[in-house]
Amino acid sequence: MKTVAEILKEIRPEFDFATSKDFIADGMLDSFDVVTLVAMLDKNFGISIQGVDIVPENFKNHETIEALLRKSGYKQ
Amino acid sequence: MQPVDTVNQVFTAIQQVKSNASAFCTNLFPVPQKLQNWVDHEELFCELHSGAAFFFRKDRDFWRLYFCAANGEALKREFMALPDVKIKSMVMDLIERETASDSLLPIMKSIGFQLYARLCRMARPGSPDSQPLSSGDLQPVYAGNEDIQAVFDILSASFDHYAEQLPTIYEIEAAINNRQILMIKHVQTLAGLLFFETQGITSTIRYWVVAEKFQTLRHGSALMRAYFATHAAIKRFNLWVIANNQPAILRYQHYGYTSDKLVDHVLVNEVIRT
Repeated sequence: MKTVAEILKEIRPEFDFATSKDFIADGMLDSFDVVTLVAMLDKNFGISIQGVDIVPENFKNHETIEALLRKSGYKQ
Repeated sequence: MQPVDTVNQVFTAIQQVKSNASAFCTNLFPVPQKLQNWVDHEELFCELHSGAAFFFRKDRDFWRLYFCAANGEALKREFMALPDVKIKSMVMDLIERETASDSLLPIMKSIGFQLYARLCRMARPGSPDSQPLSSGDLQPVYAGNEDIQAVFDILSASFDHYAEQLPTIYEIEAAINNRQILMIKHVQTLAGLLFFETQGITSTIRYWVVAEKFQTLRHGSALMRAYFATHAAIKRFNLWVIANNQPAILRYQHYGYTSDKLVDHVLVNEVIRT
């Protein structure tokens, strides 16, 4: 299973996601990337992120993405 | 087709489709603020089916169609049950990786949509060595509210309204207020412009155009150099270009842009083709 960091790197290899607190505001993920990320998270973690959760606030940084994974039923 | 009154309606519809999806597919990449603008301007309508949701945005004299579906089979089945697709002019964008093995193109073609244009995304990394304007160049300036109509007119005359997502008057006004349009004027005439959107460390050129009678005056390069000079902190520059517009692609390559393997298939229905 890939980590969130590995998935982000796969989507946008040119950016260093460790340096940002807000991937959306910093322009590291656009709306297409977010939908791509949702599909990859669903598949990788065996969950289904809800439509109402596909909003920028949930994809700001590693912490919010991990919180979203937990909310969507992923248990580490 | 029902009007969409709140952005939340869109997200709720996506959730309903996605909750039972075996292979969720969509061409809607929701940006809440953009959706809110469409709702505020009463441009957005929807139709909800079992296993699929469709959204229609009024754009000039046609509709832009967005969908989300539980899988390709549901998409095809519910599409066939959409009465408006048979009688109204519709345009749809399908954004995919160039190498996508699960392309939705065959499904769209099977329900009567045909390829109208193909756009490819080009990108370049940020560069600290932007060239300054030469002394002979006219200095680009930011467009002001008095330029709204001229900007609208030059974009309408120069770009394809089905393929290139031309902005409305209110979107141009917002872009001007956000200082996203660099332009060069000759006396009172708009000679050329570069319209961009910047978010954090990424900036996207939406339109770059010089009116025909000014095309020998190097305004295009002056605009591009001014753009790079005002975006020194940007790490990634993007743009979309029509894939067979070789002269434009060559110009962008000159400025360091290369294909990043993302394509946008612009599809139109039979009403437009006839």
